[in-house]
Amino acid sequence: MFKILRDLLRYNIEFAIGFILTLGVFLFALAHFWAPLPDTAIYLLPPDMPPSAEYWFGTTSRGQDVLWQMSAAIWNTMLFGLTVTIVSRLLAVAVGMISGYLGGKWDQVLMTINDTMIALPNLPILLLVYFVMRDSMSWPVLAMTAALLGWNYDARLIRSVTLSLRSREFTRHAVFAGMSVPQILVRQHLPYVMPVIFFTAMNNLIWAIGLEVTLSVLGFSDINRPTIGGMIYWANQHQAIIAGIWWWMAFPIIAVVLLFLGLFLLAISVNEYIDPRSRLSRMGA
Amino acid sequence: MLTVVEKTPVSVEAKPVLRVEGLKAYYQMNYFGVRREVRAVDDVSLTIKRNEIYGIAGESSSGKSSLIKTIAGAITPPLRVVEGSVKFDFGGKELDVYAQRPAMKAARWKHLSYVMQGSMNVLNPVRKVKHAFHDFAFKHMGLSEGEFRAKVESHLQRIGLDPRVLESYPHQLSGGMRQRLTIGLATVCEPEFIIADEPTTALDVLVQQDVLALIKGVQQRMGSSIIFVTHDMTVHAAIADRIGIVYAGRLVEEGLTLDVFQRPQHPYTAHLIASLPRIGDTRKRVALGGKPPNLADPPSGCRFHPRCPLAIDKCKTDNPPLEARNNGRVACWRAGEMEAA
Repeated sequence: MFKILRDLLRYNIEFAIGFILTLGVFLFALAHFWAPLPDTAIYLLPPDMPPSAEYWFGTTSRGQDVLWQMSAAIWNTMLFGLTVTIVSRLLAVAVGMISGYLGGKWDQVLMTINDTMIALPNLPILLLVYFVMRDSMSWPVLAMTAALLGWNYDARLIRSVTLSLRSREFTRHAVFAGMSVPQILVRQHLPYVMPVIFFTAMNNLIWAIGLEVTLSVLGFSDINRPTIGGMIYWANQHQAIIAGIWWWMAFPIIAVVLLFLGLFLLAISVNEYIDPRSRLSRMGA
Repeated sequence: MLTVVEKTPVSVEAKPVLRVEGLKAYYQMNYFGVRREVRAVDDVSLTIKRNEIYGIAGESSSGKSSLIKTIAGAITPPLRVVEGSVKFDFGGKELDVYAQRPAMKAARWKHLSYVMQGSMNVLNPVRKVKHAFHDFAFKHMGLSEGEFRAKVESHLQRIGLDPRVLESYPHQLSGGMRQRLTIGLATVCEPEFIIADEPTTALDVLVQQDVLALIKGVQQRMGSSIIFVTHDMTVHAAIADRIGIVYAGRLVEEGLTLDVFQRPQHPYTAHLIASLPRIGDTRKRVALGGKPPNLADPPSGCRFHPRCPLAIDKCKTDNPPLEARNNGRVACWRAGEMEAA
């Protein structure tokens, strides 16, 4: 594991940049566990202070330190995004591979469900869930809802890859040699599908974070829990842009852009580790 | 490049390893109310003895691959066995491929292995070679991890490959090495029976020679039987003990390699042999008229009659049975008159 990391850092500049950016953002988010004040507390500091030596990123109109708010917000947003990504990847891989490999009735049933989900608009459903849940709405519920809406395009993509693998010689050989269906899927096909999973995971993470920001900006989430979207929501509520409190908006947006960039670079370069051909060509082996 | 090498005489044993009886396997499709039936394997019977290499020859679309897949039990719909049986005899235990599926499944790879068509692509491109060995062979051998690895390494050495290839990915190896590996993969469990579908297609002549020598060497050391398919008659001449000629899904002639090449009994075989290039021969070769029949709607009687120069009225109505003649078997009403013609 350490060797892989070392080689990727050495041979792959995208990975190095992505790794440093993501690590930086992650460490920054991790720091909120040592925040001097609880992240939900308000009006404990002088409001509307511009960035200074005492308050590096200034303070909000609600008397919070932007630095510590951001730290907690990124943590919460990342947690949301990762939960959505992991759950929706599990669904997409399971549905895509089973549907593609088994075919027939399985394929018909699963793809009917899948195509129906694709046809449904995401945002109205999420709003509906919010209005139905109302007070019992928490971020895990929102994450599960988003995960249930976020797997279908990728399931189709993975299905198409598995479909092409099904008729390859190595699959026929594996069947002849007596490997069971789960063994073939996990050992023969999964490594092939892995780059697709990673790349779609990346897209899905960005989509999930974007979704969380959208919903929070509109106030359709737990607004007392700091998130990137939540910060922008409160900044809008206090008309921060009109009042000239630019630091309340600018820093969270910069942070989320850096996070996107870091994750993106990481994803495209991790593909290179997973696909042995591109890895070796880069290393000149 | 036609070289008929002297064969070591096959030791005759009482029980054959493979017995195929009256095998019929059709592609049956039923789309939008239209039923189509392609008779790819039609009433084939053959036996293969221990320690024997049996070659199946025929032109493209004659049903060679379907026959061999059916024998291996590796068929998927729409190809179905309609009639007949395929029975293997592994160490005195008889196994019916289609009646004893679970036992057959356990016997695969251990007793019966398969080198598939396009076998250069048998290795998964994103996994190391060692994983292929582990996936396909490990559970059939009943060895510990360490013993298994040692066994695979010594096996690779014997077939002329550096054990280091185990740590590489398929794309790092040459075509010839991959072909060797495929054969290594099929023979690592030392099976009694090997089925090979075009094992040398897509290889150049030198690598082909090399691979044939390898197959022959492995077969002689392990004493296993091989049934293989190729349309390349020179390959048959090089390694087969006996040859079966397939035309339009039927076995039309069978005999010892030398007999088939020197004294073909069926008019189709005669044309096939006559079409081979010979050193110093400048005669222009005449192609056989017509084309292979459509197996969805085969001709009546003998399926070769529309193209046969010796066809008589009987050939158009009655199907000739495959009968023993001159040390071999032939399915032709006019087999006796062939030499005269």
